[in-house]
Order: sequence, then structure tokens, then C-alpha cells
Amino acid sequence: MNVEVAHSELNPNTRVMNSRGIWLAYAILVGLLHMVLLSIPFFFSIPVVWTLTNVIHNLYKAQAMYIFLHTVKRTPFETSVQGKAWLFIHWEQMDYGLQFTSSRKFLSISPIVLYLLASFYTKYDAARFLINTASLLSILLPKLPQFHGVHLFGINKY
Amino acid sequence: MANPGGGAVLNGTVHSNKKQSNNSQSKNYVKNGILKEAQQNGKPHFDYKPDVRSYDEAPRHVLFLTYMGYGIGTLFGYLRDFMRKWGIEKCNAAVEREEQKDFVPLYQDFENFFTRNLYMRIRDSWNQPICSTPGPYFDLMERVTDDYNWTFRHTGRVIKDVINMGSYNFLGLGVKYNESMKPVTEVLEKYGVGVPSSRHEMGTLDKHKELEELMAKFLNVEAAMIFGMGFATNSTNIPALVGKGCLILSDEFNHTSIILGARLSGAVIRPFKHNNMENLEALLREAIIKGQPRTGRAWRKILILVEGIYSMEGSIVNLPKLVALKKKYKAYLYMDEAHSIGSLGPNGQGVREHFGLDPDDVDVYMGTFTKSFAACGGYIAGKKELVDYIRVHSHSAVYSASMSPPVAQQIIRSIKILMGEDGNNEGAQKIQQLAENIKYFRQKLIEMGFIIYGADNSPIIPVLLYMPAKVSAFSRHLLKKKIGVVVVGFPATPLAEGRARFCVSSSHTKEILDTVLEAVDKLGDLLNVKYLSKKSRCPICFSEKSFDDETSFEYED
Repeated sequence: MNVEVAHSELNPNTRVMNSRGIWLAYAILVGLLHMVLLSIPFFFSIPVVWTLTNVIHNLYKAQAMYIFLHTVKRTPFETSVQGKAWLFIHWEQMDYGLQFTSSRKFLSISPIVLYLLASFYTKYDAARFLINTASLLSILLPKLPQFHGVHLFGINKY
Repeated sequence: MANPGGGAVLNGTVHSNKKQSNNSQSKNYVKNGILKEAQQNGKPHFDYKPDVRSYDEAPRHVLFLTYMGYGIGTLFGYLRDFMRKWGIEKCNAAVEREEQKDFVPLYQDFENFFTRNLYMRIRDSWNQPICSTPGPYFDLMERVTDDYNWTFRHTGRVIKDVINMGSYNFLGLGVKYNESMKPVTEVLEKYGVGVPSSRHEMGTLDKHKELEELMAKFLNVEAAMIFGMGFATNSTNIPALVGKGCLILSDEFNHTSIILGARLSGAVIRPFKHNNMENLEALLREAIIKGQPRTGRAWRKILILVEGIYSMEGSIVNLPKLVALKKKYKAYLYMDEAHSIGSLGPNGQGVREHFGLDPDDVDVYMGTFTKSFAACGGYIAGKKELVDYIRVHSHSAVYSASMSPPVAQQIIRSIKILMGEDGNNEGAQKIQQLAENIKYFRQKLIEMGFIIYGADNSPIIPVLLYMPAKVSAFSRHLLKKKIGVVVVGFPATPLAEGRARFCVSSSHTKEILDTVLEAVDKLGDLLNVKYLSKKSRCPICFSEKSFDDETSFEYED
């Protein structure tokens, strides 16, 4: 696929989230996840399912997507700038570090929306509220611009 | 009284004695010591609608499936990496020795993720060795893989007569040796193969001078200079033209060589959206108003870098509007005609002739001899002062070897064919055949329902396939039917726009094109890549109401 690589797009990773239709794909994926959870007969109640969607979405964000966006550094392919994105996670690479672009806003708003829905469906009872809030915070804090490039306790620095 | 211009002043108006004729017949004049032909036809050839149509978009579900494809591929990639790390699966890529496991890693795992897990699966569609001239047909060396594309082995068989839809052989000049190439072998015998010297030292031959004069005549400019390598023409001459304190406005999709040259020059680079003249104008205005970044001083010069035909998109630059912009804001224009020289314009003189503009409108013409002229090397052409400056200051002229003499002779031969010297019209026939082929091929592809990019006259036709698996399947299936195409995917193109790129040549006969079209048609149905909306396929069918429409009848009771 490296036919005549390199136009002025130095790091194609930054444009992935801006591609046409990728937000829709993301929303559909979350919907699918929810469907799958709903269809497991072991968990009867809807509130549990919603909590689970929220938590797994954030955990899935915290494990998979958190990993994809917030842990995995570098790029999965060789870029022509030879390692400028070496130490950056995908979240920091998005739009070349420009904050408050539409993709960033979309990805920040989606866990909030899920949180609101989960809170509503679990009827705001205490235990689930704590779980939901904790997972929301764990996924929102790394997205703040103040946390750009911050490595707590030196984890994941190099 | 002062009498400028030789006219008599009468009542305040100057009557000139000489009547100026507007339609001067090939009035040659001498300027800067160069004999110039007057521009014959100042009017554009036809009423050109610039290529700013919005390309047809595929339906959203297609894009969704494309992202799914990449996503699932990535997940499986992680799985395979995990299995490789824990020894469940054999690792075929380079790994470090056991003793060095604790050292700083020499091979970075993650940067190879894409290559290792996605590219390796479909790698057999690229880098296929051919063993004949890449004319309309070529011979392919058959290769098989026993370990899923990690290694290949040649069986020794040769797949003969594969139709060539991938070479940039636009004018069909890339053919086997025949008698008309005798002058090339004579030059080979006289001068040898290589020139072990740079242009500034002992490397300027009379063949180079001959070629440069011929090239200037062909392009209808004052002078030209040739270089041994097309890529190097861009990367070594742009730094000679601009430097610190200058501004470069380059198109988004410019080739690597232009980008490299721009970066080497040290000027400020601002890319503008592809072929988007409003964006360019906005950037120009902002740059001129604000000046250089920190100091606010005026720019030393502003250079706009564009290409004639873009090789990934097949689009033609919107030259009339660009020239108007450049004149309004007093910027310079550098045009890379690598693909468009020889293939556009009624005489093959490139994009400028295609739009019917004045040769002085573009400041720096650049092109390569690799595509239409079936040789290798590049040229820079323009005003004599410019080319004289390049002769002295080009990095390539100082540091790299000059063009090989047989190659120069081959280019001279190609240009003479194109210009129709010796009275035969072989060149004109080729150009016309190319134009017909392009029109036919594009029209048929649109009728079949493929989404294709590119202007209507451009010989490069990208067919959008979107999904990575379809990109690979397209190439493999067509190869089974003995048709060779080039396919491209991410990261060379945007994430969701994998494509197959057809290059039409004048050496393709209608039968060849029909064979290809039939195969592509069947393959398009099999792969389900015909995403063009029914309305765009046949605009005429949807513009008028058909008078067989029964619902328009009224039934009388």
C-alpha cells in the first residue's frame, strides 16, 4: 500500500477521526455493544444493562479504546516525519495536537451522553451511581487539554 | 514635440501610423537573443468548465463497513501480535537475539503494526516483477508464497501477455527495440552509457544542448534545462529558487519530490486545499496582509506549487483561475507537468496548451521524461533569465551526474515524433488516440456505475473501491484474468478511499479496452463496488419524463 506514499499529510493518524462517517461507525458500534448486552438473558434488568453499557463502553474505552486512544503511543505505520509522533498517544496526535476540534468534542461528549442515559435508567441509586461516575471521570480527565502530555507517576512516559 | 511610438498627435489623441493587426500570422521575433514564435491562437480552445465538481460520495454504509474492515483487521492484528509475543505463533519478522532482549529495542514493534498485520496479508498485489517491455502487454514472473506472503518464491514460469493498465505509458512510446531506434544505438556507440561528471564540470554534452533547445521549442518557451532524474529535478531546484523569507503555497496532494524540495529550501510552507482556488486566494490575502510570521516583514517572494495532473486523483489543475490569481497578487507559479506533458493539449504541450493560455503565464515549467517520453529525467523550462539562473545555481547541476546520452537521444526521438517532424503525423495520431481512449474508457466506467475521480480528459482514472479487502481482491482477480492494475490503500490515500488506478495509453486498442471493461464490469458486480447513484450514471435518463409513463394518463369514466 506504500505506492507513492507521502503527500502533505505527514501523519495520517491525525486525520482518521475526521474521516467521513467514522462518528456514525462509532455510534453504531456502541449501539451494537448495547444490543449484545441486552441479549444476554442472565442479566434481566434494564438498569443493570445500562450500567454495564456505560461501564464497558468506558472500560472498553478504558481497556480497548482507552488503550487505543490514551495508552498506545506512536503510529501503526511508518510516517514520513520519522518519529515525530513517537511519544504521543492517539488522543494527543489527533489534529496535530489542536484542542477543541470537532472530533475531540464528539469523543468527549459521547461518554457524557452515555453517563446521563445510564444514570437515568439506573434510577440514580447509590452504588451504580458511584461506578458510573468513577468510570466517567477516568475517561474524561485524560481528554482535558491540561492533561496533554501529562504522565502521572511517570507511567507510560517512554 | 515628443513623438513616442511614431504616431502623430492630433487633438490630444495619438494616431498611430502603423496599423496593428490582431491576427498576426506566425510573426517570429527575437527577444533576449532567442527566436520566439508568436502565440498563434490566443483564445482558449473551448469553453472550459474547471474541474471543481464535487466527487460523488459513496453511501454511508460503505464507509461504515470500511471502518469496520480496518477495525477488525486491527483487532486481529493485536491478537496475532499477542500470540507471537507469547510464542504460540511463529514470528516471521525480524526479532532480536535472546541475549539482547533487555537492550533498547532495535526494531520498534508498533510502528510496523500496520505493515506486519495488514499490509503483509495483501502484499502480493505490489512489487510484482515483470520481465518484458511495459507496452500494452507485459510478461509477469509468476511467484507463489508458502507462508502467507512473508516470503515469495518464483516458480520459474512466466505469465505472458498481461494487459498493462498500470504503466504511465501514455503515448505508447515504451516499446521494444525497433529500427526507428537506431539513432539511439548510434549515440550509445559514440558516447557510451554514462556521463561520469556533473553539468558544471565535464558533463555537458552537445546532446544535452540539442535536447534543451528542442525542448524549449516544443514547449514554446525561451529556454529549458534538463536533469538526469525526475525526482531530483524537483528536490534540487526548488531550494535554488526559494529560500528563507519566502512563502510556498503548495497543493495538498503534491508529490513527495515537491514537498521534499519545499522543505529543503527553508521557506515557510502553507498547503492549500486540493485545487481549491478560493482557499488559495484566502491564504494569499492573509499572507500578504500579515507578512512573515514573527517579524511581519513583506515576503521576499511567494511561489505557488501545483501539478498539471495529480497522480492519485487524476484531477487537472484549475489553471485559468490560478493564473488570474497569480497575476492579481503578483505571486510566481511553478507547475510540475510530470503526467500532463505529452498527454494533454492538442499538440501534447501540456496543461497550458490544454487551456489555451499564453506561454508566459506560468513562470516555471517543470516536467519529467519518464511518463510520456518513455525515458528518464526531468526538465525545467521558462524564461531565459530563469533557466540561466538555474544553470548556475541548481544543486543538481553542481552535485549530480548529467543525463546519459542514449537516454537524451531517446527523448530527442520522442519529441521529434510528437512534433511531427519529417512530415509524418504519427505524433498527432498518438495524441488523438489517447484522447479517444480516455473518453471512451471514462464514459463506459461511469455507465457501469463505478465512482471514478479525475477530470474528464485526464488519462489517470482512479476507481474507488473503499474497503481494504476489496482493493486486494480487485488486483488479484484481474491478474487471474491477465490484466495488471495498480491498487492503492491507506496510508497513501485517506482512510476510507482505497482505489484502483487505471492509466490509459494510446497503444491500447479498442479491443484491449473492451476486454478490460468487460472484466472490470463482472468484477464490479462480484465485489459490489458499483456505488455510483443511478442518477449520475445516466443523467439523460433522469432529466425528462418518459412519455411511456402510464400514470400520467387520465382514465375517463
